[in-house]
Amino acid sequence: MTTVRIWFTKTGEASYISLLDLQRVMQRSLKRSGLPVWYTLGFNPHIYMTFACPLPLGQESLVESVDVKTEQEAPDLAAWKAALEPVMPLGVAVTAVTLPRCKAEQIAAARYSVTLPAGCAAALEQYNQRQTAPVQKKSKRGMKEIDLKEYCPRIDFVCRAQELTFEMLLPAGEGLTLNPSLWLGLLERDHGAPVTGARVLRTRLLTKNSEDFS
Amino acid sequence: MFDPKLKEALARVQKPGRYTGGEPGCVLKDKAAVDLRFAFCFPDTYEVGMSFLGMKILYELLNDQPNWWCERVFMPWVDMKGEMERLGLPLYALESKDPLTDFDVVGFTLQYELSYTNILAMLDLAGIPLRAADRGEEWPLIVAGGPCVCNAEPLADFIDMMMLGEGEEQLPAVCRIVEQAKREGLPKKEVLRRIAAVPGCYVPSFYDVTYHEDGRVKAVVPNDPAAPAVVTKAIIREMDSQTPPTRFVVPMVGAVHDRAQIEVLRGCVRGCRFCQAGFLYRPMRQRSADKLNDAARRLCDNTGYEEISLTSLSTSDHSQLEPLLDDLLTWTNDEHVSLSLPSLRIDNFSESLIEKTNRVRKTGLTFAPEAGTQRLRDVINKNVTWPEIERTCTLAFKAGYTSVKLYFMMGLPTETLEDIEGIADTAQKVVDLYYANPDKPKGKSVQVTISVACFVPKPHTPFQFVPQDTEEQLREKQQHLLHSVHSKKIHVNYHDSSISFLEAVFAKGDRRLGRVLETAYRKGCFFDGWDECFHYDRWMEAFAACGLDPAFYAYRPIGTEEVTPWSHLDYGVSHEFLVREYKKALDARTTPPCNRKCSACGANKFVGGTCFDYGTDLVH
Repeated sequence: MTTVRIWFTKTGEASYISLLDLQRVMQRSLKRSGLPVWYTLGFNPHIYMTFACPLPLGQESLVESVDVKTEQEAPDLAAWKAALEPVMPLGVAVTAVTLPRCKAEQIAAARYSVTLPAGCAAALEQYNQRQTAPVQKKSKRGMKEIDLKEYCPRIDFVCRAQELTFEMLLPAGEGLTLNPSLWLGLLERDHGAPVTGARVLRTRLLTKNSEDFS
Repeated sequence: MFDPKLKEALARVQKPGRYTGGEPGCVLKDKAAVDLRFAFCFPDTYEVGMSFLGMKILYELLNDQPNWWCERVFMPWVDMKGEMERLGLPLYALESKDPLTDFDVVGFTLQYELSYTNILAMLDLAGIPLRAADRGEEWPLIVAGGPCVCNAEPLADFIDMMMLGEGEEQLPAVCRIVEQAKREGLPKKEVLRRIAAVPGCYVPSFYDVTYHEDGRVKAVVPNDPAAPAVVTKAIIREMDSQTPPTRFVVPMVGAVHDRAQIEVLRGCVRGCRFCQAGFLYRPMRQRSADKLNDAARRLCDNTGYEEISLTSLSTSDHSQLEPLLDDLLTWTNDEHVSLSLPSLRIDNFSESLIEKTNRVRKTGLTFAPEAGTQRLRDVINKNVTWPEIERTCTLAFKAGYTSVKLYFMMGLPTETLEDIEGIADTAQKVVDLYYANPDKPKGKSVQVTISVACFVPKPHTPFQFVPQDTEEQLREKQQHLLHSVHSKKIHVNYHDSSISFLEAVFAKGDRRLGRVLETAYRKGCFFDGWDECFHYDRWMEAFAACGLDPAFYAYRPIGTEEVTPWSHLDYGVSHEFLVREYKKALDARTTPPCNRKCSACGANKFVGGTCFDYGTDLVH
């Protein structure tokens, strides 16, 4: 049995597909591709799939991946990519098909590019001057207070016409995951920033050694 | 990238994936390169609309024309509607995200009377004037099709043109006329005159309706030479002439029926007297098994669906059902596809049928005896007997089923409290059958669910003449049913009778109700078919404000000689036949299925000669 990692983008329309829905969409896309993917055994067979690091609804990404299994010993990865490209929904582009080098558990951080309306500049300045920025974060063990300043002391942004953009490098993966939405929520709540039109794009997933998850 | 306003709205609503499009199978074209843009509007949520086979048929058919582009539009749920109004976002089509005003034709499908206010809401949300008379040349042509156009007179003021019958040939004919008219620069009225010559196309403004003093319709008379006195539905003579759709748009947010569907036959031979579809789609025509198998396979290949449903009004009446299942089972297992047969009948449900649908996945078993006593089943011509129910349930329990769902109606013509007790008795006898099975699974109990709908008399059926039970009568019957059920294994579901009352009013309504619809919509009524959005008080205020009594439409018996609001709309079933069937019903006399004996309803005029070859055995 060989594990194959399919890399794809999730942008535009596709950013509104929830993880639960994405599983079904991927299941059907794989089925349409006709590729020899492995089905689970049992009464209700389905394609075995593992998604690396699911995104919140409405956020976009260039670095999504899903692992599937096949009984092919040396799958022709270029042929896999060619078979998958035409069967994906709008906003899902297959960027590569590889044999996994890392395990999903090795993911430790993610890089995001955030775009906000230019009107958010003042709020960001205020954030940069704060000493602390406590927020409540939902976790499996209930609510927990964390200080956002600890993870991102300042946000350096670039203004372009109607918009401003900035990058964030945040913990992600098995341990602690912090999403830019925590900062957007704080900017809206504490500083009145109009963040509803925000665009959050995940650009990289990194391992502990700061190498690209691959 | 999305419009920032749309992105803002999407960030604030539940299940934003309903409003984005981009699903596998959705058709994108270059709008500069097409000659005709058609907005197919479903006046309910995405999840409901994406389950609807008719939209898939017409979407594929229209988009097969390279120079036409058909897109989808659904009614946004309450939260999204609010956001769109707040942000000034006009209603848009999912493919291009262009507003409805950019389209040549905006077409609504009328599946349910209580979605009429959603049509007004969708026009309003698109910034299109509601009334046809207020729409000049600059506005799209607003058309409608689907079963409710058999009497959509309450919508006559709002819709430019309605299409009776089946759309596969009719809708392209209409689109060709619109495309040509655009080229010629014809005024809308002239376009409608040309369209009026297409079979089944009905232009309400070309007809004048006069009324008696008591509110009954006196006459419906054409006021334009292009309009025929009677509009006869369009029909596909040979089902095999139409390839079923094989490239569905596959929804990504769960639709109600999220599976491949193959329409095995159209129409129904049974002639149940309450069933409007059974009369509207006559005569029954079926597709051949090999064509169905091919289409099913291509559909699964194209969509990746893991379940295929053989749909129709009565799937087990297909004369080649078992060979078809055998063909399907040669490949479905290997392709991880399961089969489901939603419309089975109790009377011809065989052991091998259970086994064949069972081979992949087992779901609950659902049957519709519709009435609790044999007498009442004879009245409604649901030719099902207790021995048949007994045989089927015994088979099903032996095959390992432990839950059975039974559908009934209450408020049927001639119904008494004894018939209501019969519903509870039937369910109890099914429970007893389960425990009579010596091989029943150990430690497992049976669950029988009885779902009881309120009967709504519908136009073009033999019961169009009968009054609906009043809400008090229905509530009393519901209570009586609850008191007649004595087992914890039986669950009773019933429906809100006030929703059924409104459904009856609009099913049998006339043009004067247009004012009520608009008034109710202005008072905030929409999504009336959804309990949480149904505002009975607002509706009653709207009737009062318009000086119309809803009881007139729902509770008044219609004389068999009376002119009805739908007298000028012909579905091939003669008035004499409906009267004959109505009288037989009152005597509890049954009529055999069409494929056993022709009862001369008149629909054979569409196929020429007889509907069935009575020489060969079509009956199971």
